[in-house]
Amino acid sequence: MKFSQTGLYIESYSKCANCGVLIYEGDAEDARRMKRDDGKLYCSQECVDWKNDREKRKAAK
Amino acid sequence: MDIVTMNILESTMVSLCREMGIVLMKTSYSTIFNEALDFTCGLADMNGDMIAVADYCPAQIGGMPLLVKSCLKEIPIREIEEGDVILHNDPYRGGLHTPEHTFFKPIFVEGEIMGFAVAIGHIAEVGGMAPGGFCGEATEIFQEGLRVPPVKIKKRGQDNIEVWKLLLANVRTPRVNYGDLRALIAAVDLGEKQMTNIYRKYGKEKIRETVEDLLLYSERRMRAELEAIPDGIYPFTDYVESDGIDPDRKYAINVEVHKRGGDIIVDYAGSSPQAAGPINATLGVATSAAYNAVLHMTDPSIPRNSGCFRPIRVMAPPGTIVNVDFPAPEVGGNTETHPRIVGAILGAMSKALPDRTMAAEGATHCNFVFGGVEADTGEFFACYDLEAVGWGGRSFADGNDGVDSINGNCRITPVEVYETRFPWRIESLAFNTDAGGAGKFRGGVGYTKQMLCLNDQIICSQMTDRHLFAPWGLEGGKEGGLGATLVQKAGRDDWQTMREAYNKASTSRYSNVAIKYGDRVRLVTPGGGGYGDPSERSREAVAEDVREGYVSAGSARKFYGYEAN
Repeated sequence: MKFSQTGLYIESYSKCANCGVLIYEGDAEDARRMKRDDGKLYCSQECVDWKNDREKRKAAK
Repeated sequence: MDIVTMNILESTMVSLCREMGIVLMKTSYSTIFNEALDFTCGLADMNGDMIAVADYCPAQIGGMPLLVKSCLKEIPIREIEEGDVILHNDPYRGGLHTPEHTFFKPIFVEGEIMGFAVAIGHIAEVGGMAPGGFCGEATEIFQEGLRVPPVKIKKRGQDNIEVWKLLLANVRTPRVNYGDLRALIAAVDLGEKQMTNIYRKYGKEKIRETVEDLLLYSERRMRAELEAIPDGIYPFTDYVESDGIDPDRKYAINVEVHKRGGDIIVDYAGSSPQAAGPINATLGVATSAAYNAVLHMTDPSIPRNSGCFRPIRVMAPPGTIVNVDFPAPEVGGNTETHPRIVGAILGAMSKALPDRTMAAEGATHCNFVFGGVEADTGEFFACYDLEAVGWGGRSFADGNDGVDSINGNCRITPVEVYETRFPWRIESLAFNTDAGGAGKFRGGVGYTKQMLCLNDQIICSQMTDRHLFAPWGLEGGKEGGLGATLVQKAGRDDWQTMREAYNKASTSRYSNVAIKYGDRVRLVTPGGGGYGDPSERSREAVAEDVREGYVSAGSARKFYGYEAN
């Protein structure tokens, strides 16, 4: 989630493409865990893995 | 671990949370608080983890940790001072829906912040396009009322006058809202004061250690419960009937429950993209609904705190009906989509846990909201009215009759209070015959409330469900009865749906219809699905159902092969 320079309003919302949690720009913990995969933003490697496993399960059906 | 101290402290904190709720109930102005009890009070540690909560509204219990943590992302601990009270309702940053206002107050002991007293309550009137906050035709958040980011409504014990003025200028009932907001503050004031005394009695270190033990204890007990459930992936899909904008489109709630040892992951991937109308759930709702479902399936004696939520994870892809993106509308997500999510999770787990799940319940709060100008006083009034439904049959018992949906735990407003506070006469309020799905264990029944308008005009809106898709049965049980909303215009004999009478797109979701003096409104609430083959129901139970009017003689014959005298 990105705030304006003044901090008074939100410019954009960023969510993990898998679990949907907000990812705060400038938050050290969020920045440390966050991953990019296939052009999308994920809150953690765990969510990237979950998304990949889900796709594999779907393909196997 | 000092188990004795832990139990005493846990009970003391839960009692304090209940007492906070009683203060809120007794000092508030709106029927939604002092009759319906649509609120929750709790205590959190300084990380925002819930350490105790009273047994009020489950939707808010599950939502509380995310709400408090979201606020702390924006107002860092170092900026919070003694006497501050923070207010927040933003659905896109941890909130549940626009009416749900969260207040929290820091608990300081010897200059150090130890945690927060928290109260979450449903404010009945929040501005927006319809009186009462539930605009069944909203297509963006801005029509649903005032959105409040985390702000200090009190600073160091003093009212933040500018915030108060801004809040009260944007609602139709400022006097009533003022009273309700003060009641919420009174609740957190009490929580802060009493918790400070508890810290003084036991000492900061002892409480810190004991609370840590308490959260671990809850987590261990929850994991032990989950470990007893067979591992596997449990899928289920249920449908919300429309969004109020496109009446012919249904919306899938897709769940896959992954049970792995002592962990449970609820994956909502495959759910419908977010709707144009206000049925979308926020992440807070999707998370809270998963917690709610798991709490229903596990030992109720596990202390309710963030510890018991640790084994539960939620995957709610953004831009879907279970995790709405800005600026789509969301007010019905917390009342309508939440119970449908819980139902889908219970449906998924019904094979693994037949004794701890149930057939579908009515899964709507009916959300009949209205407002207008009182003829006698000239003052604007507004009401958020919720109604009860039938619950699903279980493997060991019939469904409950006329109980608030699974995420509410609220009471319905008594007829006498309703008539005193608002210009309606309640002409009848009676259970619906044949509304409980047939089964070895019958679904609970909903009821019909018929109201006569006594004001020149009352502006009414609604956000409900189950007018098209009946509550499903389990293990051979039959569907429960549908709900309906009907209007009889003054001087006419026929009853019409809101679609017929006011040219609305949906019968169950609409905004701002003008009910005139002498018009009647009939709210029919849905029943619950049945459980098990109806032919296995005991003859005595069927005979009693017929005698008491729950089942007609015709249905007794049709579903149960029973000939009533």
